[in-house]
Amino acid sequence: MILQPLPPRILSVRRLPNADPALLVAYGADPTRHRSLGLITVDQDDPTYVALDEATKHANVDVVFAKSFYAGANHASGPLSGEILGVLAASTPTEIDDGLHALVRCLESDACFYAADEAKKTAVFPHVVSSLGHYLSALAGLSPGDAMAYLVAPPMEATIGLDMALKAAGVRAVKIFPPPTETNFAAAWLTGPLESCEAAAVAYCEAVVRVAANPKGEVWGS
Amino acid sequence: MSRTRQLIARLRDDLGASAPMSLAPPLPRIPEPPSRVFPRRQEGSRYARESAAHTTALLGIGHVGTRYATDVVLQFQAELAVAHEAVAAELPDQWATENGLIGLRSRVQDHREFLLRPDLGRRLDEESLARWKQAGKRGVDVQPILADGLSATACIQNGRALLESFTKSCQARGLTVGVPVVARYARVWLEDEIGAVVGAKVAAILLGERPGLGTGDGLSAYLVYDPKVGNTDGQRNMMSNIHARGTRPEVAGERLAVLARAMVDQKKSGVDLDLSRLTAELGEAASRVPRAPQVRVRLVEVGK
Repeated sequence: MILQPLPPRILSVRRLPNADPALLVAYGADPTRHRSLGLITVDQDDPTYVALDEATKHANVDVVFAKSFYAGANHASGPLSGEILGVLAASTPTEIDDGLHALVRCLESDACFYAADEAKKTAVFPHVVSSLGHYLSALAGLSPGDAMAYLVAPPMEATIGLDMALKAAGVRAVKIFPPPTETNFAAAWLTGPLESCEAAAVAYCEAVVRVAANPKGEVWGS
Repeated sequence: MSRTRQLIARLRDDLGASAPMSLAPPLPRIPEPPSRVFPRRQEGSRYARESAAHTTALLGIGHVGTRYATDVVLQFQAELAVAHEAVAAELPDQWATENGLIGLRSRVQDHREFLLRPDLGRRLDEESLARWKQAGKRGVDVQPILADGLSATACIQNGRALLESFTKSCQARGLTVGVPVVARYARVWLEDEIGAVVGAKVAAILLGERPGLGTGDGLSAYLVYDPKVGNTDGQRNMMSNIHARGTRPEVAGERLAVLARAMVDQKKSGVDLDLSRLTAELGEAASRVPRAPQVRVRLVEVGK
């Protein structure tokens, strides 16, 4: 059964209502504006980046820190480490709460990887952000409110998929992350009108499924 | 189901898989907006309370944590929408003829240009000028001009009422009144050219004023003695906030006629005009007593 969602697991969520200024600075926050931190670890990094961005749309929070861990969740340093640590910063704990609620909601019911093969060994993340928040938009050099296709797959699948996605619709590559990323995947951010982003994500996903089903293509036989 | 999940589910069907995709956990029920209602708290400071009662400005609106209260935000958005709509409104082409008035227009071609080029809105276009030279009644005391200005909404809603009360009051004070006109895409200074063409002693332009929060229907009136191109604002007397919640058009027409009479008598207007003996007739317009409170119209009701 292909294209089953692989739900992300939230491994830990904690809040620091009044974080030490040294800690704030070390994690990229601004002690003059930020006082409280919200921290989360998840076993899937890319859905978490999307969910962190979602949080900036629901509460007055900034994403000050978000980094993937090397080689991914299967090689984590501890049971709570997962694949990513994300940190929200805000002036009050209430804002942090609102941000974390939006973040968790997004992880539970929206952003997730999908299994591209029957054995669930190949994971693909063909996500469409219909309206960017101020975190991802700043990273991508776009404006808040723009649409973006956030596409991730393992190296071979991602490369074939990206070519299909760019040719399938009127989209433009904002950033391409060739392999290896920290988690040994490959990724790309595309932008354009919402419908084009959606068409690109679907084309990408389909290509990943086809490559997974037929890794050696027509020439070398399956 | 989220948009991406819908897309991938459809792709899955297209790829011919038979078993249905497992469902995402249902989204939590979204509470009816606004999800939490924070009622306005009674302001502690007496000064803030009193000030807020005397203005429709956003004073003493309180806060909830780092944010405004829900009703304040909704009211603000609704009022901004009213103002935007008024700025974007245009006077219909046939409005002048439907109301039995002569229609003139400035040199502005379209609404966008009107907003960007105040200078073009201050002069009549060739065709209007020729028509006005023909139709205008010369040598009158007062030339009334109705105009869209920055709010055609205001002109349509209150324009006729103000024009009629102003005309009647002028005649009652023994002033001769010119043929009323409606000017499209007009700025205040257009009154100089229109008045100068017919040699009126006083030109009075009644036009929609720049909309503020929740006030899209306000008219202003600018009066000038000896209208001619090149007059400055120092030579004009003006009255603003002419609408149902400010100065009502009937009252405003009366006061403007008093001003016009004074201009004709003293042969000057603007800063030089002596209003000291007209305090009784002009009411609050000439006095220094604080204005009566304006009532804020609630466009949004929350938590009732």
